[in-house]
Amino acid sequence: MNCLQAEEHFSAHYEDALDYQTLQGFETHLAACEACQQEYARFQESVKVVQQLPQIEPSPYFMPTLLQRITEERREIGAVKGIATVSWQRLLDVFRRPVWAFSGVLALILAVTGTYLYQDGFLFDRDSGSTAITSEPQEIRVATSPVGTRRVLGNSTQRLPSGVISTPGRPTQQHYVLKQVSYTNASTRGGL
Amino acid sequence: MLDLDDELMERYQKGDEGAFTLLVRRHQQPLINFIARFINDRDNAEDLAQETFIRMFKAAHRYEPGRAHFKTWMYHIAKNLCKNEIRNRDRRDKYRVDNVVNSGSDSNNDTEEIDLIANTPANPTFQPEVELERKELRNAIQKAIAELPEQYRLPLVLRDLQGLSYDEISEVLELRSGTTKSRINRARLMLKDKLKPFI
Repeated sequence: MNCLQAEEHFSAHYEDALDYQTLQGFETHLAACEACQQEYARFQESVKVVQQLPQIEPSPYFMPTLLQRITEERREIGAVKGIATVSWQRLLDVFRRPVWAFSGVLALILAVTGTYLYQDGFLFDRDSGSTAITSEPQEIRVATSPVGTRRVLGNSTQRLPSGVISTPGRPTQQHYVLKQVSYTNASTRGGL
Repeated sequence: MLDLDDELMERYQKGDEGAFTLLVRRHQQPLINFIARFINDRDNAEDLAQETFIRMFKAAHRYEPGRAHFKTWMYHIAKNLCKNEIRNRDRRDKYRVDNVVNSGSDSNNDTEEIDLIANTPANPTFQPEVELERKELRNAIQKAIAELPEQYRLPLVLRDLQGLSYDEISEVLELRSGTTKSRINRARLMLKDKLKPFI
């Protein structure tokens, strides 16, 4: 063991934590090396004086101030919990009144029934040619004629609700193509 | 088996609010000492100690008795607060005018060191000369500790001033046991050299 290695074991030797083999090596080196003896003596002394530093007493204001802060924190936490509880309680109180409870249940039933009927197609039948859907084929059919196109463009509010022409069940993409073709024809016939 | 701190925490979690106050009373002095020695500032030490306890109070419901150790948890929070304080202090110092820093900081350090000693218990067999020597030595020790790099100062304070075990220190600092041991040895060697004129 050399001096540097011995220095690495100062703390472990001071705290009696060296294994037998290392302890023998350390003590053999120390017995032979005067410099290490002095260094180790100073090491022990400096550790002792540090460990004997007096404890600092807390000021008399420390505990009261801290307890006050803890009380404030406790109150804040309580207030947050209280707000959450009060909100739920108010909501529940509303539904404890018979009229409100009945209204709530009725609204729920209506909402569920409405959703069910809408999904089933009872209210808006897409394949039956009702007004909402048949307006589109009407416009397209008219658009096949250049004259008709002009009329529709000029006064669409009169033509659309007529309900004279209807081609239910045609795909939308096909209608769009027809409209494009007829519009081109109309512009050329106008002599432009 | 739960130790007293864990038992008190468990009681607090079950609604005994006095249990937390008892924990604070048990640990206030070691905590203030740790912070004061680490940041070398007694006034701020009390503020940081209060902040540590408030954070523990807020997080108390998450503490699992028997799994973590109250003491290491406390020092871990305090260590992080101290590091922030030191970082902020360094940042504040950078913005000061150089002359003011040189003259002002020295005098401040002296005052802090004197303050640290002013609060130590009085010696019944008071001898002025001996007391003066002791004060000088204490000042020198405190200054030497304050001058140590942070990574060595922290484990040294926890070991030699707070009396924590190596395992506890490793837990607080999140280091391997071997690293903790070598840092403490290194810190003591540095301190030995710094205190050469006094020992």
